Amino acid sequence: MKTVSSLLDPVWYERYKRISNLNIRSSIYDVTNRCNLRCKGCFFFSSGEHHVQEETDLKKWEAFIDREKARGVNLAILIGGEPTLCMDRVEAFYKRVPSYCATNGLIKVPRERFPDMMVGISLWGDSEDEKILRGKDTFAVSSKNYEGDSYTYYLYTITPKQVGKIEPVIKRIVDIGLKVHLQLLSNDEGVDGFHWREGELRDLRAEMDEMLERYPHTVISSKYYHEVITTGMMLGRRFGWRECPSVTESLDNRQPPVRRLIHFCRWAADLKTVHRCCTSATRDCATCKDGAAHMSWIMVNKRDHIVSTRDLQNWIEVYEMFAKLYRLIPW
Amino acid sequence: MPESIEKKGIVRHVAEIIIGELKLEDVIPDTFDPDMDLVDELGIDSMDLATIALVLQDEYKIIIDEDDYPRLKTVRLISAYIEEKLAAKH
Repeated sequence: MKTVSSLLDPVWYERYKRISNLNIRSSIYDVTNRCNLRCKGCFFFSSGEHHVQEETDLKKWEAFIDREKARGVNLAILIGGEPTLCMDRVEAFYKRVPSYCATNGLIKVPRERFPDMMVGISLWGDSEDEKILRGKDTFAVSSKNYEGDSYTYYLYTITPKQVGKIEPVIKRIVDIGLKVHLQLLSNDEGVDGFHWREGELRDLRAEMDEMLERYPHTVISSKYYHEVITTGMMLGRRFGWRECPSVTESLDNRQPPVRRLIHFCRWAADLKTVHRCCTSATRDCATCKDGAAHMSWIMVNKRDHIVSTRDLQNWIEVYEMFAKLYRLIPW
Repeated sequence: MPESIEKKGIVRHVAEIIIGELKLEDVIPDTFDPDMDLVDELGIDSMDLATIALVLQDEYKIIIDEDDYPRLKTVRLISAYIEEKLAAKH
């Protein structure tokens, strides 16, 4: 029987213990159906998930959040639409439960109201890609709004056109004193020129590894995460519906049961509807490149990594990456 | 049956269930350290605990509250918890 302490030296064992008891229960909330951008490839709008009647009564939001807290949620991930269009709802979450706000960064989260709320700014490549996919160079605005903010990082969605060109983007983020986490475009709307081609993901993995080595204080990532997200493989298993951990609990009828995020739900802005998963039901799980889903996939399969020292260290590094993204442990 | 033997029986049975449910290799109930921290050493998470709890609930006809999971850190602590629940039934 392999035990954790038999595989790790004292330093790694301490790192393991620091994260092994975090016991995170996250869920995702569409704070609003509205957005101030309409990005090509945004799963929220391409899937039609915004076609629900948005709840506008703040009291109902507050009661809903209290119920969620009672359900055991201890990390609220706020997405949209664009959550910052409804700061009162964001505040209702923030006052009740540790919250993370995903935003395009065009509106600044006022720090006097949200002093330590984690903010993740979406970024879809360099200014050229941003203009093609999002209609504008959002970085030009978001970088001014959030420069030097110690509770903010960029969530850089790398597109196929970015292969070989990600360092200048990282450097721009270094220059404004923020951190960055990397994930890959799934191209939900099939935009021409943004499909992954043979070999590109292999090249990108090497490039992501290089960025992590070159900018360790800026890039919040791990090489094992790069491997899993670019290959779609973990411990010889392929990512897909039979493996994904980020499926809404009440809709998860997979048999035999799949290792999953306990009590995870993704709620629509009507506070009644739940969506299938952390992305959209229209996405093909076999080609899903969602970073959070792949990260969670690794995290929920802890015991499968208690096989060798390297496997367990890989698992620890991914869990630490997750914990850093939500400032559950220091950067 | 003397109480100590009964206690030993629960400890052994819990170890047996954990070994079976987690498919642990190279260990038998008699060699399973009842004081080993299941999270820190075996890497058990709440989904594993939920699976084990379901079996224990069936075996002992008790209810294990999810809020109590953090208490269930070792085989010995799980056994004590079961005893507590059984005593409360009588």
